[in-house]
Amino acid sequence: MTVGLNEFLAISGLLFAIGFTGVLLRRNTLVIYMCLEIMLSAAILALVGFSRFNNTMDGNIFVFFIITVAAAEVAVGLAIIVALFRHRQTIQVEDLNTLKN
Amino acid sequence: MDDLQYFKDAAASNEWSLIWPEISVGLLALSLLVVEMLVPKMKNRLVPMIAMIGLSVITVTLVLSWVGMGVSYGESFAGLLFQSGFGESMRLFFLLGGLFICFLGYVTLQGRAIPRVEFFHIVLVVTAALMLLAQSNHFVMIFITLETVTIGFYILVSYFRNQPISLEAGLKYLILGGLSTGLLLFGIALLYGAAGNPQLAGATAEGLNLQALRAFLLNHGDHTLAVAGMLLVLFGIAFKVAVFPFQIWVPDVYQGAPTAVTAFLGVCSKAAGFALMIILVTRTFNVETMTSITVPLLSLMAIFSLLYGNLTALTQQNTKRLMGLSGISHAGFLLAGVVAAVHVDWAVWAVVFYLFSYMFSSFAVFGVMAFVEGKNPGEGEELIDYTGLYQRSPFLGTVLGIGLGSLAGIPPLVGFIGKALVFIALFQAGLYVLLLVGALSVAISIFYYFGWMRTAFFGDGPDTEKDYPAIEVPLPKRVPLAIIAGITVFLGFIQVPLAAVLGL
Repeated sequence: MTVGLNEFLAISGLLFAIGFTGVLLRRNTLVIYMCLEIMLSAAILALVGFSRFNNTMDGNIFVFFIITVAAAEVAVGLAIIVALFRHRQTIQVEDLNTLKN
Repeated sequence: MDDLQYFKDAAASNEWSLIWPEISVGLLALSLLVVEMLVPKMKNRLVPMIAMIGLSVITVTLVLSWVGMGVSYGESFAGLLFQSGFGESMRLFFLLGGLFICFLGYVTLQGRAIPRVEFFHIVLVVTAALMLLAQSNHFVMIFITLETVTIGFYILVSYFRNQPISLEAGLKYLILGGLSTGLLLFGIALLYGAAGNPQLAGATAEGLNLQALRAFLLNHGDHTLAVAGMLLVLFGIAFKVAVFPFQIWVPDVYQGAPTAVTAFLGVCSKAAGFALMIILVTRTFNVETMTSITVPLLSLMAIFSLLYGNLTALTQQNTKRLMGLSGISHAGFLLAGVVAAVHVDWAVWAVVFYLFSYMFSSFAVFGVMAFVEGKNPGEGEELIDYTGLYQRSPFLGTVLGIGLGSLAGIPPLVGFIGKALVFIALFQAGLYVLLLVGALSVAISIFYYFGWMRTAFFGDGPDTEKDYPAIEVPLPKRVPLAIIAGITVFLGFIQVPLAAVLGL
């Protein structure tokens, strides 16, 4: 069996759905952050798949930009999570309730 | 050899000169770090001064260059950027925004044990990215600039890293910002894939270029992948501009962020989202098969934003949350303007004018908030803290009154003109339901804006026993606030200068 565009898209869509539901349902900030990264990976996989089967290079090049940006985002994001953990000793979403009416 | 020839042509035509304002702002940002190293003792005074003077010089030069050489028009950098009157006016918008944020940062960071130079550095980098964003013509450009802005904001929102409240706001913004990035990116991937499909007639190899994409969509605007991609991209941007139902993060993040950052987020980040909305909705997705989806969808989002923002703001006691929630209703107005711009061409300028009027009036309010707030988290942010502000500081009271009045849309002020333009555009586009909801929401908004004003001027707050100290504002710090308030009044009477800039 040859792997076609549809297989790429199915996996990519699945990854996106996993990431999206994870962000909405999980309660641990680190796990949520991992789910965000899964969503980015889904987009990357779709871009690479399209790039391969459409015979254009733009998608592949775009992936490099996404990886770079994702690395920057993780650097900042983890710093915020660590700083918050130092103050509150927790990173569970339900405990982060200082901001209220 | 074609590539080599391309680079030769690019070097000969010297397109870098087209983005001199962005390069100058970037260099200014770098020079701040050098100044910090060279004169460590004076850095806290010198760095904000250099940032503000530098931005003013660039702003003036930009305006003078329009007068001298006119506005350049067309694609540059192989289709990455698109110069136009719209892009130029948004450049001016973000330069003015960055300038005032530097002033606010100077005021709010004073007397705090927190590094300050980085704040101005990040504000300038974000400003440069915002300016490029408004001119982008390619999804790679949009993604890179938008992420530069967003990551900058992650840092800025959690800037008071010794206060859990600021970090918590940063984390919330991080998660929802990341989610919106994911939606946007997946949408871009789908659009790129659909546009490049070799089995479709008119497929393009340049699916990431907005013009090429539009040419494809003219024939295949009802392609399932393309429609799904378009919706995901719009939802991703809707998070940034905070329209219903993507507004959940707004009150918390606005409250937790430092006041200067709240202003930056509320004005410049929102404007960046709307610049993208205009570029995408009115220039790229404006093919008949897609407008039949975008117009009803965005109208609905605008209606709910207008109602949600105003109704929740009615009972709000925290001023930062209040500004965030009323900002949602202003986003509703702007989105209504974008919808109108699909049908009526000049409505784009109504949106830009509204953005300018919103910037001047909310900066007046945020400027006052920066002086009223205390050094501890949450201190001086409640409506009660504004009791008798006019008696305590006539200057701040007047500026607050002008700002709030303009946000509410009271006739002689610029906010009224902005709203009137959007209403006329809606009328011409035949969107009567939006017009009606807009008028209704103006009526609702008067309640909470005037409630705030009444507290500030007549001081019949619930807790009048408490003693409120007078607030002294030194003269140099009055000047920027006075200028902003002056512009708000002046543009209400005479719109010619701004209209000339906008090319109305």
